[in-house]
Amino acid sequence: MSKSQRTLYFVKIYFLAFVLATFVLFPIMVMVSMSLKAPDEQFTSPPYLVPKRPTLSNYLHVIGRGSMFLRYFLNSLLVAAASTVIVLAVALFSSYSYARLCFPGRDFFFILILLSQLFPLAAIIVSLYRIMSQLRMIDTYWSLIVAYLTFSVPVGVWLLRNFFLGIPKELEEAAMIDGCTRLMAFWKIVVPLMRPGLGATFAYLFFVTWQEFMFALTFITSEAKRTLPVGIFDYVGQYETNWGNLMAASSLICVPVFLLFLFVQQQLVGGLTRGAVKG
Amino acid sequence: MYGYAFALPSIALLFVLVIYPLFMTFLLSLYDVSLTSSRYLGWEAFNKLWNHKMLPLVFKNSIIWTLLVILFQFLLGLASALLLNQSFPGRTLLRGIVILPWVMPGVIAGMVWRLVYDPQLGLLNHYLRSLGIISQPLTWLSDPRWALYAVIFTAIWKGFPFSTLMYLAGLQTVPLDLLEASEIDGANPYQKFWYITLPVMRPIIVTTLLLTFIWTFNYFELIYVMTGGGPAERTHIFPTYVYDLAFKRFRFGDASRFAVLDFLFLLVFSLVYVKLSFRREESL
Repeated sequence: MSKSQRTLYFVKIYFLAFVLATFVLFPIMVMVSMSLKAPDEQFTSPPYLVPKRPTLSNYLHVIGRGSMFLRYFLNSLLVAAASTVIVLAVALFSSYSYARLCFPGRDFFFILILLSQLFPLAAIIVSLYRIMSQLRMIDTYWSLIVAYLTFSVPVGVWLLRNFFLGIPKELEEAAMIDGCTRLMAFWKIVVPLMRPGLGATFAYLFFVTWQEFMFALTFITSEAKRTLPVGIFDYVGQYETNWGNLMAASSLICVPVFLLFLFVQQQLVGGLTRGAVKG
Repeated sequence: MYGYAFALPSIALLFVLVIYPLFMTFLLSLYDVSLTSSRYLGWEAFNKLWNHKMLPLVFKNSIIWTLLVILFQFLLGLASALLLNQSFPGRTLLRGIVILPWVMPGVIAGMVWRLVYDPQLGLLNHYLRSLGIISQPLTWLSDPRWALYAVIFTAIWKGFPFSTLMYLAGLQTVPLDLLEASEIDGANPYQKFWYITLPVMRPIIVTTLLLTFIWTFNYFELIYVMTGGGPAERTHIFPTYVYDLAFKRFRFGDASRFAVLDFLFLLVFSLVYVKLSFRREESL
């Protein structure tokens, strides 16, 4: 490329990059801007993006005394972590058997697991609600932890299976020739190699359960057990919404998942796409 | 032997948590159930669903919503992946920025966009008026003409980065020597894209479209948070209407019938889709 061609190329690239970044960031800037505005700046006409006197008062109010935010945060953390750990424990073994072991009905059960991702959660929420009422599980953390297994077990099995398929079979076979049992080969050779895949799967499942809304809205009735996605509606009144506090809380909720994704993005995409290529 | 032992927990959970409740939903769809009474309908249940006054609208909305969202997520995802596949200073930063909407919890995205669309506080109306595109602020989410499309726009914004990530990964699988060879043979960039890049990426595109179709068709919280199905029930899709019927009106029978139809539609669609895309694979 000549020099002027190169310049033109970069002008085009940066123009498109600017358009893309603006499209993506505009609502996020609206969120952060509102979270930094004091009440007198929130309701101006016309509205403006950059706060004239930015303040952290909304954040202090959200995490301050008498606020339920920290409680909701801990509830979310507990529910998401517990159900994710259970799913990983179950899916680690299952996905290995679907990826490597032979047993009659293997493909049937695997297809059943894939198919179960098809149904809308709305299709089982009515039945689940009735079952949980009968078991007196409504309004407990367990109701959410168990309900989240419905969608995270299939995803977990599918993702981990894709990561297993990326590990050469020969490694276990060599270990078994050297005298390892299948179980030892699995535990000592394959599982350590799966660490990045497990990390990515953990992050993805945590991310999905962290933001789950429908079950949390339906199964939890007492304020003290609410999780964040439902809890932020405390700031939405029937007639008036406290936009400053709401956007401060929203920004705080986004931070952990943004950070989590920064670390596992590469791994996760590898797991998601491998399924597409290798089937 | 390990095969069953290892797979058993996931199969057991699947049966208890998914297949059994699903079966109960099928059963429930044959009844007329309210909080206080329950009456067996049998085949009459199908007539009840078929003649339900909201069925045509919910079906139409679901189709418009799903098709527009996945079409634009595909186009935007592919275009942004092609851009991010170029090498230029700042690319890593832009890659990090682009995934933000997808990582943002759906409830929060819904509330943020409610603020963006707000007729008084929202910056969208303000900017559109400054540019002279509209003369009066629009009440996007409470205007029956605009509400569905406003929510669709948000869903595109929220979900397209997933397609970007997938297509970006797909672009790395395109063999460089193939592209170089075609260049020597005189192929222009357009031809390279059409005859080499797209065919190589086909499996990833097929999978991504199927995943985004299922997720979008079943996407509940965005519409629930932004419009609640309103104004005047004009923006309901299957999941939001099922929820509304069950937990606002306590019409569990009607809710189950809509849920069963939703499930069957997705099942048939996905089977046909998978069958067609595999057949074409063989003929290639």
